[in-house]
Amino acid sequence: MIRSASIHVLLIATCALMLVMQPALAHHAFSAEFDAAAPVTVRGHVTRVEWINPHAWIQVESTDADGVVTTWTFETGTPNTLMRAGLDRHALPIGTEVVVRGYQSIDHSCTPMCKANGRDIAFPDGRKVFVGSSGTGAPRDGLDPKERR
Amino acid sequence: MNTSIARIGEQIGAQIDARNVARSVALIFAVLFATATADQNWQLSRMPWGDPDLQGTWTNATMTGLERWKGFDALVIEEALAAQLEAREAGFSEEIDTFAAGDLPSGIMVGGYNSAWLDPGTRLLRINGEARSSIIVEPADGHVPYNVRGFVTMWLNLIRSQKRNNPEEQLVGDRCVAGFGATGGPPMLPVLYNNNYQIVQTPGRVTILVEMNHSIRSIRLRSSQGGEQDVKPLPDPIRPWLGDAIGHWEGDTLVVESTHFHPQQGLGTAIKHKLFVGKDSLVTERFTRTGADEIHYGFTVEDPHIYRQPWRGELAFRPSNGEIYEYACHEGNYGMVNMLAGERARGVNGLRWWWRLITRTPEEFSHPQLSGARFDR
Repeated sequence: MIRSASIHVLLIATCALMLVMQPALAHHAFSAEFDAAAPVTVRGHVTRVEWINPHAWIQVESTDADGVVTTWTFETGTPNTLMRAGLDRHALPIGTEVVVRGYQSIDHSCTPMCKANGRDIAFPDGRKVFVGSSGTGAPRDGLDPKERR
Repeated sequence: MNTSIARIGEQIGAQIDARNVARSVALIFAVLFATATADQNWQLSRMPWGDPDLQGTWTNATMTGLERWKGFDALVIEEALAAQLEAREAGFSEEIDTFAAGDLPSGIMVGGYNSAWLDPGTRLLRINGEARSSIIVEPADGHVPYNVRGFVTMWLNLIRSQKRNNPEEQLVGDRCVAGFGATGGPPMLPVLYNNNYQIVQTPGRVTILVEMNHSIRSIRLRSSQGGEQDVKPLPDPIRPWLGDAIGHWEGDTLVVESTHFHPQQGLGTAIKHKLFVGKDSLVTERFTRTGADEIHYGFTVEDPHIYRQPWRGELAFRPSNGEIYEYACHEGNYGMVNMLAGERARGVNGLRWWWRLITRTPEEFSHPQLSGARFDR
């Protein structure tokens, strides 16, 4: 009896989910890793670039008005995609001053350092370091007459 | 040119209906001639042992999804509308990257990733010059024809994958075991990035290196010159990731049959598609070199336990922009740590976990750039 009740609960819950959810649960899903309610803006200088899959990470040290140094690491894209767009690990030399906007990890503990999704990375004058657009980094698909063949 | 081929195609259909086989054959030759003259310089090159040459680095990136978008009844999209949709997709990329200065917005739906981080394809899939509204061509509605059991199994797997209590529960993509979604397949489907493949041929074997997670499909060929004449399927307990693939040539088409999948690989789900393929499903792929810049890729998936009927899809592989890069995933898989730490930080279990899952749809679902709803009409 109990078993039958729990199966019903499971079935009802499944049906409810199917009604609500759209087909898009994903690898390293943003919402599983990062807190959309915790946007951050960090200004500092680059101390390390980890050019690794599945995502490259960029470490930034930020110093506040009281001189307290906080280390952040920001998730970016897959290096393969960035390399196809003409960017490599030297695109952002150590010491470069940047302003990064992103969303902090759900785990706010900042251990061993603060972590966030790097939504955009810009130089202090506002120029973006990585710019995505319809033409950048897209593989050659042979359909655009302007494409180099 | 494309229109004339389409017209000839329509005529072929009419002729076959009329069972006028002789004239149909003549028209097929006309199509072949028309296709050949489309790229007069191209000739099918062959490996030294005679097999057609499929080698190279290829991509199947396309904005067309596995299943038909809502509001699209037909498989083929007229060129004028196709151009509009492609422009709209480009507009979404601009929009997602152009947040106003100052602090980012806060909320459930914030847009996820910068499009500089993604590489999902900017154009619709085109087969024989016709823009497509889905990769699936059969059944005609463009959807995976799950039966009740297949549908429920897929959703239970999908829900289970949302629990982030330990690494073993995560999808193979999250665990760096294979790429996410059905990138390595089979069927090999495009995802949000890393849609690149390298094909290497040796006598008796075709090897496909799938960029995402560096998965390798080693396809043993039956009756190929220099190959093993008698290729036997692997014993039942041996179930490699991406399945046991055995191929043969039908004319100049490479036909690959894969089954015996690892049971944990069943859910090939990613932002761009959700798909469940059973451990004993049979996937038949057909690779045909149709030009210097194209491999036509057709596939059929069969499993009476999961689908109401066999279903079929088509894709085009085109030359990739650059080499395949290494994809050493484990060393940098901070995502796994962050997801597990996030689940613990939330500390939501039992019924509250279910309630959260139902009420807070992950933002990837609803973002205009990432969700299939972006083309709702």
